[in-house]
Amino acid sequence: MLEIKDVHKSFGKNEILKGVSLKIDKGDVVVILGPSGSGKTTLLRIINFLERADKGHAIFDDTDVNLKTASKKQIHRIRQKVAFIFQNYNLFHNKTALENVTEGLIIGRKVPKKEAVEMGKNALDKVGLSEKYHAYPSELSGGQQQRVGIARAVALNPDIILFDEPTSALDPEWVGEVLNVMKTIAKEGTTMLVVTHEMSFAKDVANKVIFMDGGVIVEEGTPKGIFTNPKEDRTRQFLRRVLPEDYMVYI
Amino acid sequence: MSETFDIHFLIQTFFVALSGVPTALIVTIVSLIVALPLGFLLALTRINRIPVLQWFSQVYVSFIRGTPVIVQIFIVYSSVPLFLTSLFKFYHVSVDVYKINPIWYAFIVFGLNSTALMIEVFRSAISTVSKGQLEAAYSVGLTNLQAFRRIIIPQTLVVALPNICTVTINLIKATSLGYAMSLQEITLKAKVAANANYNYVEAYIDIFLVYLMLCSLVEYLFKRYEKHLRKYKTVAA
Amino acid sequence: MEKYFDVKYLWGSFPMLLPYLQVTFVVAGLSVLFGTILGLIIAAMKLGKSKVAQKIANGYITALRCTPSIVLLFLVYYGIPAIVEIFGVSMDTVDKIVFVVITFTLQFGAAMAEVIRSAYESIDHGQFEAAVSVGLSPFQAYRRIIFPQAFVVALPNFGNSFLELIKEGSLAYTIGLIDVMGKASLVIASRINAHALETYIALSIMYWVISIVIEQLFLQLEKLFSKGKQVIKPA
Repeated sequence: MLEIKDVHKSFGKNEILKGVSLKIDKGDVVVILGPSGSGKTTLLRIINFLERADKGHAIFDDTDVNLKTASKKQIHRIRQKVAFIFQNYNLFHNKTALENVTEGLIIGRKVPKKEAVEMGKNALDKVGLSEKYHAYPSELSGGQQQRVGIARAVALNPDIILFDEPTSALDPEWVGEVLNVMKTIAKEGTTMLVVTHEMSFAKDVANKVIFMDGGVIVEEGTPKGIFTNPKEDRTRQFLRRVLPEDYMVYI
Repeated sequence: MSETFDIHFLIQTFFVALSGVPTALIVTIVSLIVALPLGFLLALTRINRIPVLQWFSQVYVSFIRGTPVIVQIFIVYSSVPLFLTSLFKFYHVSVDVYKINPIWYAFIVFGLNSTALMIEVFRSAISTVSKGQLEAAYSVGLTNLQAFRRIIIPQTLVVALPNICTVTINLIKATSLGYAMSLQEITLKAKVAANANYNYVEAYIDIFLVYLMLCSLVEYLFKRYEKHLRKYKTVAA
Repeated sequence: MEKYFDVKYLWGSFPMLLPYLQVTFVVAGLSVLFGTILGLIIAAMKLGKSKVAQKIANGYITALRCTPSIVLLFLVYYGIPAIVEIFGVSMDTVDKIVFVVITFTLQFGAAMAEVIRSAYESIDHGQFEAAVSVGLSPFQAYRRIIFPQAFVVALPNFGNSFLELIKEGSLAYTIGLIDVMGKASLVIASRINAHALETYIALSIMYWVISIVIEQLFLQLEKLFSKGKQVIKPA
């Protein structure tokens, strides 16, 4: 459904992505792991054109888009299909939870307001925020804000949702509720590409895990394969660093 | 208005305008010397909610900020002589109030004016220095005065510096209104020079250039001092 | 010379001065209108990518910050006719208020440029990213997400600049504009400079009341627009 081909990106002299390619099928939940600075976030941002690649293509349902030179129209079309979850939520401060969800529907998609409000409420119900339709972001906890962020993405009914470290800005107490919501929408068959440090999510929910380091994909495979039997040295070292001692055994 | 643009006059008058700089600077410096400590103290009366005094400084700030400087000048310039005349008469002092150097009026007006502005500057600056700093100073045995002199004031100054710079720049600019008191500063000097041949355009270009240089210099000095403070005194802004 | 303080003259000044507030407000209103437009343009230049435009904008802001209102006023009053004259056009018949409005438009524009720039920069770029990621066009993102937030941030500074403008506007009397300040000078002159103090106190009270009203107005506006909408502070 989505194929990324040979993406390159540098910031000044710093080469962040050195030719990354990956393929995602419908219904996939792909988790990208890797040390910070490995280019995971940049890759995600490039797919949503929040950053321009220096080189690379995205093939979306048979339409080929150049990630460097895409026109405004092409970008708009891709953003209609791809939703994004931000690390620091980026809820619109001047809009209520419900307005945050309906904004993209009404303005971006031209959905009639009444219908959009209905869809927005459904999305917020799904993430367990039925009580918070009219709360402003400042009145919500971090976990609630991120759940609104997810509702905002889900309501758009996108072909794929990109998650950029959705729990890393959260206090530990809120991480669980956000991961649960992510699990729920994964089970519904949503295609997801997730950058995260939550190993349990990768293990339990993903059907494919990608390990990135130094701007390239080092290794990819099933969660079980990567966690129990990593082929590359770099992967092994990384996992040893981030996983508790007995984690391998536990798997 | 003069028929042609007179370059010669432009250059000549530039130095006339420049000769007004010392007066403008003296007024500015004296006003700041009055305003800095007084503003700080009155700011404290507001922060610590000292009865009467806090009420006084609030009204005082509101009035100064709510009225044009030129009106303040006229009020001082027309009330102080009235006041002094009766005072001198009472004590039989034989000084003609109308021969007092206008720079004294300038000190009064701009001193009063910048004190009010400083109260506001310090009020917001002091409130950014956390209460914990004062408590910590007490806890290591500093007296109230020591705590302020060694801990609170240095930190407050760094935070307040950009705003003090703004007040200073505005003060320098405001001295241009000294003409209303016949103060021999930049604007009046150049304007008088222009009166003879109506070379007003040239004169005002000169005045403009002098203020531009003066203010840029002051801004530069403040920036350097701020950098210096931030470098050698580890202060969290 | 008989000089003493008489409250009668203080009260008597109000009915004479009040009608001229209209002129003061017209000057302020027009200057705010044109100055805000100018400020938007300069802020856009400063925030844009062109280095030349940035330099021009910075130079403009610095120059105006360093120029006393009265100097700018006379530069405009004498300078613009002199420049226009080169092209053979006379400005002798142009009303003085035009020069005053030009002066304060230039000044207010410089102040607003800084107000707008800092308000714009206070809005986290993530707000824009989130807006385009849910399918808004960049223009829609600015109009619906960035602008409303920046507006609330800019409001207090806008209010301050507005107050400053009203006060500085009093200097227009120096080129002969008859606003409240100009009228006060005329009143004083007509009394052969006697009781100037009473008139100036009356004038200062008028300005003071106007300032307080404007200040309160902006406080209320701020409350109204930021109701429940905690702005900035990214979580």
